[in-house]
Amino acid sequence: MKLRTALMGACASAAMALPALAERGADGHVNIIYWQAPSILNPYLSSGTKDVESSSMILEGLAGFNEKGEVIPRLVDEVPTVENGGVSADLTTITWVLSEGLLWSDGTPVTSADAVFTYEYCTHPEGGCAQAARYDGIASVEAVDDRTIKITFDAPKPNPYQAFVGGTSPLLQKAQFENCLGAAAPQCTEANFGPIGTGPFRVTEFRPNDVIQMEANPNYRDPAKPAFATVTFKGGGDAAAAGRAVLETGEFDYAWNLQLAPDVIAGMLAAGKGQTVIGFGTLVERIEMNMTDPSPNLPEGERSTTAHPHPFLSDIRVRQALSMAIDRALLVEIGYGQAGRPTCNLVPAPEMFASDNTGCLTQDLEGAKALLEEAGWTVGGDGIRTKDGMRLSILYQTSTNAVRQDFQALIKQWWNEIGVEVELKNIDASVFFGGDPGSPDTFQKFYADVEMYANNFDGTDPEPYLAQYTCDKTPGPTNGWQGENINRFCDPAYDELIKELGQTGVMEERAALAKRLNDMLTKDSFVVVPLVDRGRISAHSNSLGGVVLNTWDTELWNVADWYRVK
Amino acid sequence: MLTFTLRRLLTAIPTLLVISFVIFGLLELAPGDPLADQPLTVPPEVREKMRVALGLDQPFYIRYVLWLKQFFWIEPLYTIDSLFGTSFAEGEQRIVSWQFRAPVFDVIWQRLPQTMWVVGMAYLVGVLIALPIGIVSAYRQYSWFDQVGTFVSMIGFSVPTFFTGVLMIVIFAVNLGWFPSIYDTTLRVTDWESFKRQVAQMVMPVAVLALFNASQISRFMRASMLDNLNQDYVRTARAKGMTEPVVVLTHVLRNSMIPVVTVIALGVPTIFGGAIITEQVFKVNGLGQLLITAIYANDLPMVQTLTFIFAVLIVLFNLIADILYGLLDPRIRYD
Amino acid sequence: MSDGGLPTGGPSARKLVEVRNLKMHFPIYAGLFRTRVGEVKAVDGVSFDIYEGETLGLVGESGCGKSTCGRAVLRLYEPTSGSIRIDGREIATAGFETLRKMRPTMQMVFQDPQASLNPRMTVAAIIGEPLDEHTSLSKAEKLARIYELMDAVGLNRNFANRYPHAFSGGQRQRIGIARALALNPRFIVCDEPIAALDVSIQAQVVNLLEELQEKLGLTYLFISHDLSMVRHIADRVAVMYLGKIVELAPRDALYARPLHPYTQALLSAVPEPDPNIEERRRRIILRGDVPSPANPPKGCNFCTRCPKVMPVCRDVEPAFAEVEPGRFTACHLYDATIMKTAGETAAPEAQSTSDKVQQGA
Repeated sequence: MKLRTALMGACASAAMALPALAERGADGHVNIIYWQAPSILNPYLSSGTKDVESSSMILEGLAGFNEKGEVIPRLVDEVPTVENGGVSADLTTITWVLSEGLLWSDGTPVTSADAVFTYEYCTHPEGGCAQAARYDGIASVEAVDDRTIKITFDAPKPNPYQAFVGGTSPLLQKAQFENCLGAAAPQCTEANFGPIGTGPFRVTEFRPNDVIQMEANPNYRDPAKPAFATVTFKGGGDAAAAGRAVLETGEFDYAWNLQLAPDVIAGMLAAGKGQTVIGFGTLVERIEMNMTDPSPNLPEGERSTTAHPHPFLSDIRVRQALSMAIDRALLVEIGYGQAGRPTCNLVPAPEMFASDNTGCLTQDLEGAKALLEEAGWTVGGDGIRTKDGMRLSILYQTSTNAVRQDFQALIKQWWNEIGVEVELKNIDASVFFGGDPGSPDTFQKFYADVEMYANNFDGTDPEPYLAQYTCDKTPGPTNGWQGENINRFCDPAYDELIKELGQTGVMEERAALAKRLNDMLTKDSFVVVPLVDRGRISAHSNSLGGVVLNTWDTELWNVADWYRVK
Repeated sequence: MLTFTLRRLLTAIPTLLVISFVIFGLLELAPGDPLADQPLTVPPEVREKMRVALGLDQPFYIRYVLWLKQFFWIEPLYTIDSLFGTSFAEGEQRIVSWQFRAPVFDVIWQRLPQTMWVVGMAYLVGVLIALPIGIVSAYRQYSWFDQVGTFVSMIGFSVPTFFTGVLMIVIFAVNLGWFPSIYDTTLRVTDWESFKRQVAQMVMPVAVLALFNASQISRFMRASMLDNLNQDYVRTARAKGMTEPVVVLTHVLRNSMIPVVTVIALGVPTIFGGAIITEQVFKVNGLGQLLITAIYANDLPMVQTLTFIFAVLIVLFNLIADILYGLLDPRIRYD
Repeated sequence: MSDGGLPTGGPSARKLVEVRNLKMHFPIYAGLFRTRVGEVKAVDGVSFDIYEGETLGLVGESGCGKSTCGRAVLRLYEPTSGSIRIDGREIATAGFETLRKMRPTMQMVFQDPQASLNPRMTVAAIIGEPLDEHTSLSKAEKLARIYELMDAVGLNRNFANRYPHAFSGGQRQRIGIARALALNPRFIVCDEPIAALDVSIQAQVVNLLEELQEKLGLTYLFISHDLSMVRHIADRVAVMYLGKIVELAPRDALYARPLHPYTQALLSAVPEPDPNIEERRRRIILRGDVPSPANPPKGCNFCTRCPKVMPVCRDVEPAFAEVEPGRFTACHLYDATIMKTAGETAAPEAQSTSDKVQQGA
């Protein structure tokens, strides 16, 4: 064992010494497997992770994020900031200047007109653009000259790195997509399956939901990169098969997102053909408390609406007791292993935005019981607490998923222990997250007392994410049950702070505000009960070098730097 | 026979229309949303726009009629156009998949080769090994050969392919390293080397499926042979002084093949249906995998079109089986 | 073993078929591992001769082994033991190829004309197949022979290319007969050839068989359960019960004066066309069921149902012996030594067998 560790260490250090000497295409072929197969290579028409990440090898934004969540330049020499004058002092404009001599993979020059076109493409009212949120709050995008792009916002934009930044908002080539605006967008199959980009690779063959064949982009801006001449990007199957292909048979070099039981991964690693990489982002598995009454006795249209507050979950002591009863460390051990860590925060990262909130990490069943007693809930004959003839009985729903069902069972046990009756329910993910206003089982309708799922935010700025919990975003019959404020949480003070955050440009102040907002939702009110900060675990073969897992941009953000360890 | 065929084809039209309506209706009633796999970070307004872009704001019957028109009118025109360079279908909207935003038929054509290669080959191999096994098992009923054959068919029939498939991967791909665990659909056979690689990657999926097919068909063959072996005409043939091979292969086999051939014909549509599980296990990514991912993604146009094509094939091969029966069995005449 | 007796056809006739102590036992397998637990003694030591040109009728109730016997004689089954000589050649132990070469001399007409004809072959193919196998006739000669055979059995030549299902039952049996005649056989086993046919057709087929016998000098083993039909066609008749021949005699003698109690019972069941005789006819009703051939009773096979059963019958198996010239039977009643020693005490226990069996079953 020690010998092998030592050998691997030696390999790793050898690998460190080798890179960057290579020339483009010198390392031959690389095989990537995603167990979800890409169905389209235009991230504006599908925001599925598999589609965004596969297309990020071909299409790029003006800038991206590195593994620490910092903005890094891609098609520009320098990221515009208030300090260098790229962002106006009033935070209403940002000006990007393209690097000189940039070419599309077909050899034509990249100009600011392409950026303007991309903006038009995604904001076209009939286009159904999946990344429209990236271009929210933009008044105009202008081409000042061939290399200068000026974005003007409706209002001060403290975080201007949304449009054209990261894998979800890449530049499209105007010449290729010119006839694909609006309703015509889906019909441009050829363009959607083989976009011309500035990324390190270009498509040679695309078979939807199966495989992408790529070759090095001859016009890539760094003449020494990428090290690989060709790529096979296979999709489909399941996480276990993908892990096996990298860690056990060595057929593939990189496998994405191995959502597997911890012991399964350990078993695969034993074959010694590859290793795992783990990154923690903002994905938090949490329990959301319903602040309104989901009782089926209420007429349809009034169930789970603000018209009727929840009979007992509106009492903070009940919510807190429920949170205290949970042993988060055990949940992590059972469900995620090294790919998870317990958290009490809704915003666990980036570091500067993460509150030092650790109060929930130790389970306290006695404290929970005491709190319920204090709130007037006394244990009845059958061990279930009652108050004023009302039983403390909870309907707990989530999507169908093995880990979630394990969590449900464990949490039910803990809650039973403190005298809470729990009824479990799981719903097929496509229904639960489907958002069909006609279905009673969507997470937005929330016809249950508590529900569990995971959510995260895109990019590094938590503002839009925290802004989901304002009073006006409450789903209900009036807005077709659309709206992200799932708990129906409503606190004017919270709304005030969100407004303040929207006007603050200085990073430190923004961070402080975000932490306060996070605490208001979690440790101050227990409306959101975070459980696990879910990391992402991927695997690569021992012979693939340069892999850095990044949770702020696509996993393939630095594929241009990958190389073959010799 | 011709009038029978024509009459059956005519009656198939309303049947298929009803089937298409039922499929469409069932898919419509099924829960789920084509945008469900989009991340939660996509705001609701954007979702709504995407939904409109897919045509989901139209009522059910309008989408059904549109689909009918696209399937029976525009797609055939499009095929004519691509064959003869005409432009009948110009500007008409083809059936477009919701997950790919690409014409459904283009993807189906793309998937057909690997499905035909793997699933079709498995069917062929299955039939080829099933027939002799069935014949010998019946001729030597209760011999050790028959007992072993029964046992193996039992296993092939009852052990699911996701088990045998993964087992084979663990043995032959992970431990022995003989065959790849992941099928490369982009491999083109151009020389001896690539042919060997193609064979190597086909071995496991074909073996798994062929075992399943063979166990089914060999049982049919055996039962049918046994039915015939005890008939008087077999005794007649022996009394005539025919040699044993003639008795078994000409007299018994030819009569036993009648039901078996129809069973084989009825099984052909399942080739086109792909082998959902086996394709998933070996990442063959053929029609079966296309169907299952379309179902997961709530890609209704794809699911509707694929299931309807299967329905057409099933109706068609039922007819073919009936016609074959008529051709093989002189006692049956369709007039 | 005794001799087969004299043929009615005259002393000049010679034996064509000699069967000696033929046994056909089928094994019974049972249990988890299909072990052999016993055997069905379908034919249990029968002996008889058939003279050239005669018809031997073989009668008995269903399940008595007469069809099995017929098939075993042609070696369509592998006999368990015994000897079968046809035209002087042993076939019970002949090798497969020798046997195949001998097939043309011996043929069979089956009970179910539908089942015995391959449904996927035309009439011409069915009749012509043995010609392909055993002769080297040219195509035209073969066709001529097929037509000749069809004429001989009274089938329209134009139907040669039709399939068996297109014919009526009687016509199908004619096809079966033509098929059997194709190779000029000398000996034909007719296994209930008329049982599956309408009564009106039965006579036609029987007459055809008789005509052909006369014309071609055929020898028949005619198996049937129809006593009147056997009386019509057979020269001599053998009666089988539970795998054994109980009586063998010239036809007229047998029908006039049956010796074995079983034969008596069997014949008493034949309806008489003359109402006067019919009225006086006394039916002997046998009680109980035929015992299982897998487990036959000790002593005489018939002892469980015999109206004249004696104690000795339950112990000693009676020998098959010639009791009168040309008449054979296996019954202690005709065994002089036994009858003498038993005396009056051995009076038949007529009608007094157990009560557990049903009357007239």
